Amino acid sequence: MDIKRSYYEDVRLFGSWPQWVWFLLLLAGLAVFPFLAGSYYTYVLSYTALHIIVALGLNVLVGYTGQISLGHAGFFGIGAYATVLLMNKAGLPFLVALPLAAFIAAGFGFLLGLPALRLEGPYLAIVTLGFGLTVEVIFEKWEFLGGSNGPPVPDFPLSFGSGLTTDQSLYLFIMALTVAVAVAVRNLVKTRVGRAFVAVRDSDIAASCMGVSLMYYKTLAFAVSAFCAGLAGGLFAFHLGTIDPTTFNLMLSILFLAMVVVGGVASILGSVMGAVLISFLNLKLKGLQLDDFASLPLIGDQAAWFVQSFFMETGMSNIQFIVYGLIMVLIMIFEPLGLYGFWIRTKVYWKTWPF
Amino acid sequence: MLNFLQIMVSGLAIGSAYGLIALAMVIIYKTSEVLNFAQGDMAVISTFVAYYLLAQQGWPFIAALPAALAFAVLVGMAAEFLFLRRAKKPNLLGLIIITLGFQMILFGFTSWKWGADPKDLPFPVSPFGAFELGGLIIGHLEALTFLLGLVVMAILFLFFRFTKTGVAMKATQQNLAVARIMGIRTRRVLLLAWGLSAAIGCLAGLLLGPAGTVDPYMMWDPALKGFASAVLGGMTSLFGAAVGGYLMGVVENLFGFYVSTEFKSVVPFAIILIVLILKPSGLLARHYVKKV
Amino acid sequence: MRGWQGFIVLALILTLGVVGTAGAAELSGVTKTEIHIGQWGPQTGPAAPWGAVARGTGVLFQMINDGGGIHGRKIVYHMFDDQYNPAKTKAGVKELQEREPGIFAWAAGVGTAPGLAVKDYLMEKKIPWVGPSAGSLHWITPPQKYLFAVYPLYYDEAQILVRYLVTKEKKSKFAILYANDEYGKNGLKGALLEMDKHGLKPVLEVPVGRADRDLKSHIMKLKDSGADTVIMWVNPTHAAITMKTAAALKYEPQWVTSSTLSDAPLMSQITGGLWKNVIFAGMIEDPESTSPYMTKYREAFEKYAQKGERWGVFFLAGIGFVEPMVQGLKKAGPNLTRARFVTAMESIKNFKGIMGNVSFDAKTRQGCNEVYVAKTDETGMKTIRLTDWMTVR
Repeated sequence: MDIKRSYYEDVRLFGSWPQWVWFLLLLAGLAVFPFLAGSYYTYVLSYTALHIIVALGLNVLVGYTGQISLGHAGFFGIGAYATVLLMNKAGLPFLVALPLAAFIAAGFGFLLGLPALRLEGPYLAIVTLGFGLTVEVIFEKWEFLGGSNGPPVPDFPLSFGSGLTTDQSLYLFIMALTVAVAVAVRNLVKTRVGRAFVAVRDSDIAASCMGVSLMYYKTLAFAVSAFCAGLAGGLFAFHLGTIDPTTFNLMLSILFLAMVVVGGVASILGSVMGAVLISFLNLKLKGLQLDDFASLPLIGDQAAWFVQSFFMETGMSNIQFIVYGLIMVLIMIFEPLGLYGFWIRTKVYWKTWPF
Repeated sequence: MLNFLQIMVSGLAIGSAYGLIALAMVIIYKTSEVLNFAQGDMAVISTFVAYYLLAQQGWPFIAALPAALAFAVLVGMAAEFLFLRRAKKPNLLGLIIITLGFQMILFGFTSWKWGADPKDLPFPVSPFGAFELGGLIIGHLEALTFLLGLVVMAILFLFFRFTKTGVAMKATQQNLAVARIMGIRTRRVLLLAWGLSAAIGCLAGLLLGPAGTVDPYMMWDPALKGFASAVLGGMTSLFGAAVGGYLMGVVENLFGFYVSTEFKSVVPFAIILIVLILKPSGLLARHYVKKV
Repeated sequence: MRGWQGFIVLALILTLGVVGTAGAAELSGVTKTEIHIGQWGPQTGPAAPWGAVARGTGVLFQMINDGGGIHGRKIVYHMFDDQYNPAKTKAGVKELQEREPGIFAWAAGVGTAPGLAVKDYLMEKKIPWVGPSAGSLHWITPPQKYLFAVYPLYYDEAQILVRYLVTKEKKSKFAILYANDEYGKNGLKGALLEMDKHGLKPVLEVPVGRADRDLKSHIMKLKDSGADTVIMWVNPTHAAITMKTAAALKYEPQWVTSSTLSDAPLMSQITGGLWKNVIFAGMIEDPESTSPYMTKYREAFEKYAQKGERWGVFFLAGIGFVEPMVQGLKKAGPNLTRARFVTAMESIKNFKGIMGNVSFDAKTRQGCNEVYVAKTDETGMKTIRLTDWMTVR
């Protein structure tokens, strides 16, 4: 939109005073939120924040570096298991276990990045897919990790003051981390490393001719995205209170990828929007009943009759899959840049009015 | 020794099913360079249509089979026509998302229409009849799957090699614009490829269905293995897909029997990883070097 | 820079009217005319066949409401789909609990993992939960004041089956095919324990993964081991695949299975008629029985159940697990509070609905320990009772 006149302007966090102010207001709003809304909405927001962290990391890998990963649920799970096991078995305190677990996930990300150097396109997709599935199977079978029950999760040990419930403390902690991760990722992609990622995406052979070390940057991209996913995974364990190995399945990986693509590849705001949309849908489309169809304006009765005679009523909640699928397909067809693309278009439309 | 042979037989039979799915995927990849994640659910919905016609409407199998295949062809063509064609110059990621989205739509639709209870598919060849061959027990269904797999592969091979449409398909994949200039109706070719692929997937579903139960997730596992087989053999080689399928089935079963049934599902991916590290395009495909 | 606007969007959307009143009222979920009961269930996803449990409870409540309700109050039933995903279970429970008017108590609820995700939350808030639909040891170790388990433990069931097989059928070469989750592993543990008591060991233990469709290597191993009795502790789909594969391989041991597979007509149908002479444990009366409760429920099914619903074991389980709750609500009297409800539940002794004998007391939170052993006949559609209701102790 605005022309950047110097390198510093390109990289700075806030373009102008008003943005800075809005940001502070936002932070204030988020901080006060749990005290105004109930425990349910706090839960929803924490859940969304976790997904935002994962989406940010995945966007670095998929959007900025042009790789593909169908196994991110694996890193998410590794983070969760590692945090809990480090606390249970090695007796480490939470604030040490969490970053350590994220680094362990990043290590696995690095390992997964190695085959990525030789593979591209569908082959890379399959290898990441295989990784995700292998990790899921290992979680279920290996007794050391808790087997099919999952290890017991200790209570969230931090507390930001005595009037706060655990939920609220957890929410504040997660939000703080989310903001930190978003700032960090944004800085990463705007500076030298980010530009290297984009170069790798646009043409890796040309990039390596220019001196961008493919090996370093590709594995770094995997490691960074795995770090974010692992961090979110560790927090997720405390958010949910239990770990169930079946949560980290292919469907979750697909959902993560959908968040990134639907929100907008290669854009921070896009990741946030995509994560918010998909998390919201995930939690909201549960209790659909026949009456919801009947209450549609105008075509309500016909819709209800159609649904009842053609479909099995017992399977009504399957509509959520249809909704996800449609969103994914329609966004890709009509707006490949995702929700962020819509946002940009709206802004351009308003800014360039009346031309 | 007998056990080993028995396992080989089972492995080859299930490998044919994987091979069929792999073939379906490779056909699509060869013509539109798309990784079709919706393969499994396209097969499932066609199998459910067959179930519906056979069990709930009482059609004889000889009528239900072509109907199910025709439905599959329609679904495949619909996918290409409605979704892929409309996407504006999508890259690999976009295409994957579109196919994943389509898969979810099909899955939701199938579950909604027929419910989630497992069902039994009436099939003319009984899944538990078998003939013995000197101590070796070969199931009727297994034999049928194997034979059908070979037949389909032979037909496809001849099709791609010797018929005009087959050559047209190969041309479309290699360079779409030039193929158009040369007079090939690429739109039709693409539709045909998707329809054909969906029909083959439907066959695989119909062969796998009677051996177990028919429910909306029956193809999740086989589709992944089929996918893995296609990658193993090389996404651009039909013969590779078949070989990959057989290899996958046999190794999986051998591992399951002799080593451990627990980690059986992980073996395919371990194999792939090793193969891909050594040969990045799969076993039998030619590795195209990209120009900058 | 632009990234921050995303947060702004997020904040604006959410502060635009989401500020609700928090905190569960001292007595949420009960008004002068209504009692609110909730349940989660997998209506979609791989566990969807178990969705029938939640729907069965719904029909039970409709039947009760039609009969005038309980002490003049109608039961308002809140059922939601959690897809067997613990994160969704917790979200749904929190949502329903905190939104007006709240939930008085929770009924059944399929799945060990989903249940564990909400157990601590419910117990902390002192909200009663009756009849979790999973025969796991987690609900009663340690016993919780507000959690009443009804489903007989898989652990116990397996012991009873093995005891019957060893003493009455004189079997000794056992193999166990078990699902690689809580359900299967508990069954395995119970079976091994009982075998050990009789000085036996299984010749083979074969685990089955959740998504496995091709069980040929599993069955070949079983056949190779020479076992003459195979105990199956798997889900219906795997059982069907097992039976078909075994028939194709000409392997015919005595099949034994758990109460999850006790729906003979369903199993017969999905195995293509192979479900003959299978010994199983039953935890619910035969659906074809003519006992007064069963007849009443059958009428309710005809009247209220959705089109396409199966009159089968899962549906009836949704009724059987909740019967004690209904008893408790009745006994608690018109002045309904949670504490009174808990006392009423504890006073249930020897209640027999369509499941085995249910009893609670101040310390006991596992209400039902009884199952019976039965066998399917030559047609595979009917069941022959082999024993009466028995417990393991």
